[in-house]
Amino acid sequence: MTPRTCLIVDDSRIIRKVARRIVEGLGFEVDEAADGSEALAFCAGVMPEVILLDWSMPVMDGLTFLRRLRTLPGGAGPKVLFCTIETRAERIAEALSAGADDYVMKPFDGEILTSKFAEVGAV
Amino acid sequence: MTPEDFDRLQSLMASRAGFRLTRDRMKLAEHRLGPVARREGFDSVDAMLASLWAKPVATLGWAIIEALLNPETWFRRDRPTFETLAGELLPALSRARTGQPVKVWSAGCSTGQEPWSIAMAAMDVGAPVEIVGTDLSQRALEKARTGAYTGFEIQRGLKAETMLRWFEQADDAWIAKPQLRATVHFARANLLDAPTDDARFDVIFCRNVLDDMDPARRSQALDNLERRLVDDGVLFLGADERIEGDSVAFRAVAGRPGLFVKSPTAVRRAA
Repeated sequence: MTPRTCLIVDDSRIIRKVARRIVEGLGFEVDEAADGSEALAFCAGVMPEVILLDWSMPVMDGLTFLRRLRTLPGGAGPKVLFCTIETRAERIAEALSAGADDYVMKPFDGEILTSKFAEVGAV
Repeated sequence: MTPEDFDRLQSLMASRAGFRLTRDRMKLAEHRLGPVARREGFDSVDAMLASLWAKPVATLGWAIIEALLNPETWFRRDRPTFETLAGELLPALSRARTGQPVKVWSAGCSTGQEPWSIAMAAMDVGAPVEIVGTDLSQRALEKARTGAYTGFEIQRGLKAETMLRWFEQADDAWIAKPQLRATVHFARANLLDAPTDDARFDVIFCRNVLDDMDPARRSQALDNLERRLVDDGVLFLGADERIEGDSVAFRAVAGRPGLFVKSPTAVRRAA
């Protein structure tokens, strides 16, 4: 069976590393991008099944990336989980209405991420 | 803490709470009792335990017992359980009760995530419910009653969309909204105590409680649950919990891990 794929988009190398360890533990093959523009270029090539997405990043932020992703051919496919330090209810609602499947507030741990993957049907 | 102290704590936990304080929890016990000792005005855990052994079990004893229970819980733990509840049981029970609220008991509800999860599932399918959440720990119940959770707690098991629908943000906390709170009532109860009134429930949740109990006390707790359950009601245990050998009052429902109904003998006995 081909392993499932997850793209982790975050400008912090440390967050990417922590998230990678957890997501690999769920049986995913992981790729990384450091901002929205890198992520968009990646997705134009291969659509991952799940995207973990930071909000505030240089070059292109997560929300802009998400809106552009959803207009790409096949861009409706990936389950997108926002994963950010932004915790205000109205911003969470904004992310969901922009097409995010779920939202993880930092800080998070393996149990939270696993339960979020389960809730969106990714595992 | 001396090994003798730990032995005495073990028997205190078994006799008062039916809780099996295994030896591998000695470090954990010491860690949990530190804050209790400070709160109760003792210089050390040892001093607190010395005082406990010198007097009959009262407020201090219960504060210690509470601190040693297992408070682990999260929203929508064992998701298939909530799918069975919302998709099959609540609609069927609502019809059978002709629109009267379905009565649900969350036994051993700790800090409340389970009763709130039941309430959300019921409101999602439009089934009227009355939920009672009980626990042995007053401190856990105090938190449950506030309905307030940290970002860490709220997102363990809940989708963001569900969280926004049923919880209000206040500073760093997420607080259950009034319509959710209106369906749940919290009270302290010890599962070792036999019922003293005739309140009965259609659905009982008692998940991951029996597994932590002293085997000798499990059947007592199960008997008490059976007496609280209507004959056509259902009992949910943790998805991996087994009770064969502990009780003949219930039988497992095939294909639904954790779901139990009364066995024919228990129903006949009641009739």
